[in-house]
Amino acid sequence: MTHVSLQTPRTLSPGKSYLPERGKQSAREAPSVRAGRRLSLGKGLSYGWIFGPIVLLAFWSLGSALDWIDPRILPAPWVAVTTGTSLAAEGRLLPNILVSAERVGSGLAFGILAGVLLALFSGLTRFGGYLIDGVIQIKRAVPIYALIPFFTLWFGIGEGMKITVIAVAAFYPVYLQTHNALRSIDLRYVELAESLRLTYRDFLRHIVLPGVLPGFLLGLRFSVMAAWLSVIIVEQTNATRGIGYMINLAVSYAQTDVMLVGLVLYAILGVASDCAVRLLQRGLLSWQRTLAG
Amino acid sequence: MATHSGGLKMRWLTAAFLGLIVASARAADLPLDAPIPDTVPPGTVLRVGGQHDLEFTLAGERDKLPFKLEFANISAGPPTINAFHAKALDVGFSNDIPAIQAAWLGLDVRIVAVRLRKNPEAPAFQFGIAPKAGIASLSDLRGKKIAFSPGQAQGSVVLRTLKQYGIRRDEVELVELPSNGNSYLNALAANLVDAAPLSQIPIKRYAADYAKDGGKVLAPYGIKDNPLILWVRTDTLKDPAKAAALKLYLAAWARSTRWIDTHPDQWVDTWYVKDQGISAEDGRFLETQLGHPDIPQDWTQVIRDEQETIDFMAEETGRKPFDATKLFDRRFETVAGAAFIKP
Repeated sequence: MTHVSLQTPRTLSPGKSYLPERGKQSAREAPSVRAGRRLSLGKGLSYGWIFGPIVLLAFWSLGSALDWIDPRILPAPWVAVTTGTSLAAEGRLLPNILVSAERVGSGLAFGILAGVLLALFSGLTRFGGYLIDGVIQIKRAVPIYALIPFFTLWFGIGEGMKITVIAVAAFYPVYLQTHNALRSIDLRYVELAESLRLTYRDFLRHIVLPGVLPGFLLGLRFSVMAAWLSVIIVEQTNATRGIGYMINLAVSYAQTDVMLVGLVLYAILGVASDCAVRLLQRGLLSWQRTLAG
Repeated sequence: MATHSGGLKMRWLTAAFLGLIVASARAADLPLDAPIPDTVPPGTVLRVGGQHDLEFTLAGERDKLPFKLEFANISAGPPTINAFHAKALDVGFSNDIPAIQAAWLGLDVRIVAVRLRKNPEAPAFQFGIAPKAGIASLSDLRGKKIAFSPGQAQGSVVLRTLKQYGIRRDEVELVELPSNGNSYLNALAANLVDAAPLSQIPIKRYAADYAKDGGKVLAPYGIKDNPLILWVRTDTLKDPAKAAALKLYLAAWARSTRWIDTHPDQWVDTWYVKDQGISAEDGRFLETQLGHPDIPQDWTQVIRDEQETIDFMAEETGRKPFDATKLFDRRFETVAGAAFIKP
């Protein structure tokens, strides 16, 4: 990042790279380093992350097929497929997914909005930091599960309570990562903005926005996951639809196969939404060059 | 200046206070011994716990009621008490233990309908015995680890069983564990406890799945059923509109209960199989477990039994016993019972 000083641009704009091309850089600018020693990880495979899950799935299948795994403790992986297919055919899967997705969507929207606004307020002003950050750090230590009875007292047993809980769960990661990214913006950029006499608006646009975006997007990834995970908790209270309800119902009828379908569904939905955020991340952070490559 | 602003403040306070009184008075409160009004004013909403939506529709009771009926899927004790605290629920549907528990927690509640079973010889709760427990009959419980949930019917079943078999509380190890979903089944399967009271599907599932390891299910003898109850906050009873709606609701509930009892096949198919997604066989098992309902028109015996339960629970859990009649609103005594037997 120090190379920026070599060619001091008049303004820094997000989405535009100010770093020299990678290949040229190593050839031209590091004569003192021994040649041939590479410290980066090398080029990654595009779907390399699938490897671990495949090993796990193979182990699970083998264990089930050879009767090493007690089906009362963990049903075979294909049970999830057969039960899932028959549930889908009976029309039990999609309506539940849609209801939960709607709850997750609204909760996420409120949570992200509140997370970003409060992070900006507490990250960019001293007063905001004193007022908000402490409260949030304390609340972070309280498990959301323990809050449900109080949320019932404050917000009732309806849809409002459920969405509030999801919003609270989604709020924290976005807030924490955004706030952290804001407060770790390199002072040199701030000084640069000062010496260029940028207006506050330009400062927000050209320094704060690109500085905060990676943190925000990381927070978003955690938030999306947290929102899905909290569904199972909120759908314990007065729900008659949703994936969480489906799993809770299966638990009370001791239907291990349906519980397994619920878990697989969770994994699929979680990974799918995570992929969506990662796509967004790649699009918005295309200017970043990191070890991950 | 000081006295002036002080006087002003007092006046404001008085005004605010009076405003508060006026606001809280609403329509005049219905005294707890006044007859229940027959007319339900328009706009009345009654929020009821338990999933009776389907049975009301099937029994044709859903559209007959002249007020808005909302069902909330809440029936276990702790969430019901919580929803009562939040004033989010008007009528609770559970067994009697949570109502006693609520009274001890200082919540002013009344039972307005009671549902018993006609064949109490088939116990609602049976003890699952862990594979490695070494228990052949329930008199072997002495010295064993037993799952215990003080605020739930499961807790009272454990205590009553110990008493029935002449085992003192300090002769066993009571492991505090709330019963939710299949937590007791899992605890047994993992040998975390030696015995735990099971009800409904877990009885069947546990017996079928763990028999080959040595797990079994034992039915206790001479243990009284916990009645199912409909119960309300007294605040709900003081609201004339809700009280009138409640009276109509109780009669409709009794008729739909009778409908289920007289249409078991249709009920198993539409509720257990189509709505809840379990097999017809499991559905029939639950239907049999539930037995035939009995909604008494005379609460004399019910209240006597409840007093015994209160005294017993008080003694076992170190609470203060109280008068069981305080827990019942006898203005509703015949409402559900009469509707239940009416042809």
